[in-house]
Order: sequence, then structure tokens, then C-alpha cells
Amino acid sequence: MSEAVSRPSLPPGVRRGVWSVVVVLLLFDGLAFLAGEAPRVALLKALEGTWGTMYGLGQVIYKATPLLLTGLGFRVALRAGLFNIGVEGQLLLGSFAAGVVASRLPSSTPWPLGVLMSLGAAGVGGAGLGAVAGAMKVKFGAHEVIVTLLLNRIVEALVPYVLRRGVGVTGYRSGDAISGALLPRLEQLSEVFRGSAASLATVLALVVCLLVLRWERSSVTGREFGWVGLGAGVCEAQGIPGGRRLWQAMALSGGRAGLGASATVLGYKGYYELGLGAGAGFGGIAVAMLGQGSAVGLVGAALLLGTLQQAGLVLNASLPREAMDVLTAAVLVAASAGRGRR
Amino acid sequence: MEARGVTCRFGDKVAVHKASVRLFPGQIHALVGENGAGKSTLLKAMAGAVVPTEGEVWIRGQRLDPATPAEAIRRGVGMVYQHFALVPSFTGMENLMLGVEPVGLLGWLRPSVTRARAEEIAAMTRLRVHLDVPAASLSVGEQQRLEILRVLVRGASLLLLDEPTAVLTPGEAQGLYELLRRIAKQGAAVAVVTHHLEDVSRYADQVTVLRGGEQVFQGAVSEVTTAELSLRALGEIPAVKRPTAVGGEAPELLVVVGLQAEGLDVKELRVRRGEMVGIAGVDGNGQEALVEALAGLRPARGSQRLGGCELAGAPPSARRAAGLEVVHGDRHRFALLAGATIHDNLVLGDLGPDEEAKVVRRMAVSGLIPADPSLQAGTLSGGNQQKLVMARALDRAPRMLVAAYPTRGIDAAAAAQIQQRLVAAAEGGAGVLLISGDWSELRTIAHRLLVMRKGRVVAELPPDVREQELGRVMLEGS
Ligand SMILES: Nc1ncnc2c1ncn2[C@@H]1O[C@H](COP(=O)(O)OP(=O)(O)O)[C@@H](O)[C@H]1O
Ligand SMILES: [Mg+2]
Repeated sequence: MSEAVSRPSLPPGVRRGVWSVVVVLLLFDGLAFLAGEAPRVALLKALEGTWGTMYGLGQVIYKATPLLLTGLGFRVALRAGLFNIGVEGQLLLGSFAAGVVASRLPSSTPWPLGVLMSLGAAGVGGAGLGAVAGAMKVKFGAHEVIVTLLLNRIVEALVPYVLRRGVGVTGYRSGDAISGALLPRLEQLSEVFRGSAASLATVLALVVCLLVLRWERSSVTGREFGWVGLGAGVCEAQGIPGGRRLWQAMALSGGRAGLGASATVLGYKGYYELGLGAGAGFGGIAVAMLGQGSAVGLVGAALLLGTLQQAGLVLNASLPREAMDVLTAAVLVAASAGRGRR
Repeated sequence: MEARGVTCRFGDKVAVHKASVRLFPGQIHALVGENGAGKSTLLKAMAGAVVPTEGEVWIRGQRLDPATPAEAIRRGVGMVYQHFALVPSFTGMENLMLGVEPVGLLGWLRPSVTRARAEEIAAMTRLRVHLDVPAASLSVGEQQRLEILRVLVRGASLLLLDEPTAVLTPGEAQGLYELLRRIAKQGAAVAVVTHHLEDVSRYADQVTVLRGGEQVFQGAVSEVTTAELSLRALGEIPAVKRPTAVGGEAPELLVVVGLQAEGLDVKELRVRRGEMVGIAGVDGNGQEALVEALAGLRPARGSQRLGGCELAGAPPSARRAAGLEVVHGDRHRFALLAGATIHDNLVLGDLGPDEEAKVVRRMAVSGLIPADPSLQAGTLSGGNQQKLVMARALDRAPRMLVAAYPTRGIDAAAAAQIQQRLVAAAEGGAGVLLISGDWSELRTIAHRLLVMRKGRVVAELPPDVREQELGRVMLEGS
């Protein structure tokens, strides 16, 4: 319903950002209190362990990197009107594929080539899974939420099975990546990040983020994705291949999520092991919802969630691990609430 | 009911400026004005759906407060919106009951109560609607009738109707006005927005003319002639002439043979270059099926050749490439993204390097008000949305244009402009298939009329056929 009097207000993005930080702080206090900690002490400890030291900051950045990529992945589907719950499974398959390819390349493969091939495998793995869900939607009208949810479970079951069946070196991890497939850590560039897991993958993610947002605004396909999200039937009637755009959006979504492997497999561990990067897919949903269309928003949201995860590790002794999951979920709820308040 | 000095602003835009309207029991009050004049906004303000920036709405001597739709409905206001507010997957009955479910003991739903009331009203008013199929499967005309029926079933005594006749055939419109008259006689006050000025003279008691948000005339219908109303509301309207006649030697452009689809069975349909072929018929007799089949949006058997090129089975994009352009009757389903900007809608489906030039050109020919391409298309009034869609279609310079209800919901001045452009397209050598519910439009600009009934083309008539004859054929076949 239309509103004749419009109130002057903060831009919605800023409001949403402030809103989520406030929610996080309040809930954090509540949880700390319930766990028998003095909220102020716990908060200071959490801040100290995240933004207080260069190492902590590096960790936050490391955690934020896959979140940014899965967030970008979720976003492309969301713009096309699809709710790709499957980013979690797509990230998993991408990470697995990256781990396998990186370890099986000839060890003489030179540096950027090995990285590119492993990343390619990650992207293709995620994209393939997304495309399956997209095709199911377009061909059979299956709802993408149901399909991706099921695909998540299938991949979660299949990857350990395949690892055990001899693809991995042990039952739970792939072989070690060749050196030509590794992304250098930030600590190799600067002493200050000493010991932290952050790598060049972060730079890669930032570049991808900027390119993606630009592509959305100025490429034909990118703009058509957004239009299909506003009305697939209208687009179809006006000569835009709505169905094709839908599955393309799902594939692209999965592909971007798969690239999250760059931070975990190629930048940090150097191999894929079960559970690596788990949860970053779902976190990406919150990032996309919070960040909306701006680079600042998306990066900020990824950093916020990365901070929460790192804070969870720091407070491991005093707060239950699940506390931070609760906070992440709360951010998601706040983000969705902010969406409806336009 | 009374609106006192109502002003409605949207940002900087003044949609309605100091309008005062009084509705009396027993009277029909017509609101007229060009597209974007503020008629819908004023009506919405009276229904509590828009909060006026200034001014007040009074109902039976009491202020409407809070100014919400719920409060207005409680006070007996019933509004039929320009854009339907039906739940598509619900049947007609379910839509009628929605929000006012008649319940019996233990909260059991008692549809029979609503049905009895609906049937009583439908019988009294000769409104024909299928009540047992989903609203989505009804034609636009039937959906509109369902909307009207819904308000009546709720027993509203202050009826506000926003362009209720835009999608009705002339016969149905007459039936509706007769019904409104009967309801008014029983003590209801009625306000109707319309573009049909003859209807105002024929059926209304009072009339208010809005122009650019200003109230430029108000008074008894008996005080003014249709011509004066038209002049006040719209200014001078140029007369539209039929395109030059095409001879039998003009090559055939569109040749459709044995076209069968759900709700459609057309043996043969031919349109020559430069020819304007009109399709007449009561709404819901296969016109939408025909348009969708030709657009490639509804699976169909049979041959559809455009200039020798077979289009059967081709998707919409291939048809566009072959020179076929389709303007759909249902804007929101097929033509316009309400959530995207006017700019994006103007180039929807043909993004290219000359995007800016296209937008400027299409913007200029459309005569959109407001003329700001960065606005959301959904904020445009219905008539302006239609102007946008038509400007885009014609600027694609089609060889063959299929236009369904191109002037529906548009004021007479803008309608004349669009008709003029259809005529120009035909004179430029394009074939035009014009599906319309406006008899005078069909009779004025078409070369020949095909009458559709139950999915078939049942007759071909010359455009100068008598209205009675046309009406008879539409209802009974030849
Ligand atoms: N929600 C809205 N936001 C901004 N502008 C609006 C909105 N609704 C209507 N308008 C503008 O107000 C003017 C009057 O619109 P409307 O009342 O729909 O005209 P009409 O007389 O055709 O029914 C138009 O210029 C329209 O663009
Ligand atoms: Mg209107």
C-alpha cells in the first residue's frame, strides 16, 4: 500500500548494518550472562582476540573470505528470485574438487597455473551442483529450496564415501596440494600477520566482489538476472530467455560458492579434510541479505560474521561453541527483518 | 461521504491538490481526467489506502480516523481497485469469502451462505463469473467482475470503483451501470472513475474533472455535454482515421492455419501487409489464448507463418527476431516489471549498445507522466504503464503487430494517440491484428472485423456493421 508521507531516514543499508551490530551486541551480552560470564569482560576478551591483535585480525579476515564468496554466490541467485540454500553443499563439493585436483596435478605444474586449475575445479564443482538444482527447477518445476537442501545432504554423504574409496590419502582428507597450487599466506608478505591463516585468497575474493557487482550493473546478462527475479514470465514474453537465465543463475551461484575453497584448501590447509569450511555456506546467506548490493555492505557483513566465528574460538573456554552459532542465526534474522522494512 | 480539501503528495510530486468531493446516497458520482490526473489517488484516499498529506475524509458526519483501509471497510466503504486484488490460486468462491468467511457452529466454514448471496447479486445484476475455478484461470474481464461481486457481497454502501468498465464489453458495462443505479436507489453512494465520457453523461448524476491533480470542474452531469467534459478533462482530441485500404494484391504477411490450443480452435487467420484486422468478441472467448499462442507462450498445434517463415514452436525471442511484436492485454503478467525502473522497462528484452538513445526516443513518444525514467514503473498510473508498453512495442518497428486491448484504461486523448500510431504502423506496411473490447475503436480503425466466440472465429464483418448486429454475432455466432 502506498504511503503518502515519506519520512526522511538513513539509507536502508546503513540502517541494516547498525541494526545487526546492535542485535549482536545485545544478544552477546545476554548469552555471556547466561553462561555465567560478566558481559563486559567477555566482550573485551572477544574484541581483544579478534580486532585487538594483528593475528586476531588475520583470523577474522581468513574466516570472512569464504563467507564473502558464498555471500556473492547466494546473491546472484537471490537477484534472479531464487533461494539457493545449496551454497553450503556447493562450497563443500568445490572444496573437495579443489583438494583432489590440487593434490593430483603433476608436481612440476608452475605456480599460477596450478592455482588456476584447482580454482577452476572448485568453481566447476560448485557450478555443476547449482546447475543441477537450476535445471530441476526449470525442467520439472521442482522448488529450488527443496532440491538444494536434498543435494546438500547427498554431497555431505557422498564426499566422505568417495574419500574412503581411495580418492583421499586417508578416509577423511585429500592428498597434499602441490606447491604450484597453493595461495601464499599474508604472513609471507608481511611480518605483522605472523601465524594467521589469512592468504591471498582474501585479495582474490575482494577482486571477485568488485567485478561481480560491476557485472551485475553493466552487463546484459547481469541485468537480465535481476529482471528475471522481478518477473520471469514478463521477461519470457519480452524475449529474454527466462528459464535459461534461471539455471544460469543457479550455476553461477554454485560456482562462486565453490571458490570459497581458495581460502580454506588452497590458502590455509593445503588439502581438503572433512568439515573444512563447513557452515560458511549458510553464513553466506546472512552476508548476502545484510550486504545487499554494495561492496562495502557485503565485505562488512562478511567481516561481522567472521568476527563472530573467531570470537567463538577465543571465548571457547567460557562460552559454549554454539553461542556463536546462535548469534550468527540472530544476525540472519535481523538481516531478513531489515529487508522487509523498506 | 465527503473528501475535504484533500492533497496527496508522493515526495515532491503532488498527485492530488485540494480536491473536495461529496458523495450522496442514491447518486452516482463520476471522476474523470487524463491518465495520471490523480483519480486513483483521490479514490484511495477516500478508501483509507493513502493517507492524505492535507485534508480529511468524512463518512456519515464522522472523520475517517484512523485513515486505514480496515477502518474504511468497517464504515461501509467498498473499493474495487484498478489492479486486481484476487488470490490467483483461490477459486472465485474462496476469493469472495476471503476475510469475511461465514462460519457456523464450531467455526465450520459455511460457503453456502456466501454462495447464496453471491448468486442473488449475480442474478440481480447479470454479472457472469465462474465461482468454482481458480481466479488465475479467469480472463481479465471475469476477474474484474469477480472483484466487483466481492465488494457487493460484503454489503458495502459506499462504493468506490476505479475504472471498473475498462475491461468490460460495452454490453457488460451497461449492465454494470444499471446495477450501480439499482444499488444507488437502495441508498448507496457510488463513485466511479472512468475514461468513457459518454458513460458519464448517460449514467452518472455528478461529475468531477481532475487535471494534473487540480479539480477543474464539478457539478451535475445535466449541466455539461460530453464534448465540454472532454475539452475540460483532456483538451482537443484529434480524430483518428482508418489506414488506407489495402488491395487484394497486397502480400499476405501472417497466415495462421489450424491453430489449436487450450481454449482455442482457429481454422484460418490471414493478415496482409498494411492491413488492420480487428478481433471482436465478449471477453474470455479465446482472445487471450490466441494472443498467447501467437506470442509463443502457449503450446499450440497448427501452422503460423510470418512472411513465409514458420513460427510454430518458436520461442518469443525467435518470433521477435522474425518481426513479430505482441502487446499483451495483461500488463503485469507479460509486459511490465513493476519493481524495475521505467528506464529498464523501456529496454526490457532489447538491451544493446544504443540503450540510452532508445530510452530517450521511447520516453519521448510515450508521453509518460511523470517523465522521469529513474522512477519505478509500478508507481505509474495504469494508463501511463500502458503508454510505456506501447511505446516500446512500436519502437521495435515490427513487421507484424498483435495488439491486445492496447488502449484499455487509457484516457481518450492518449488512446487517440495510440490508435494514430497503430494506423501509422499499418500505413508503413506492417500488418496489425487488433484485439479490442472497444467497439468504436474497432469500427473506426480496422479494415475488417473477425468475431471470436468460444475459441473460434465465427464471423467476418465489415467495420461499418451496425452495433446491434455486431453485438448479436458476438453473443450468438453468425
Ligand atoms: N505510490 C506512488 N509514488 C509516487 N508517485 C505516485 C504514486 N502513486 C501515484 N503517483 C503519481 O501520482 C499521479 C497520479 O496518479 P493516479 O492517481 O494513479 O492517476 P490516475 O488519474 O491515472 O488514476 C501520477 O503522476 C502518478 O505517477
Ligand atoms: Mg488510475
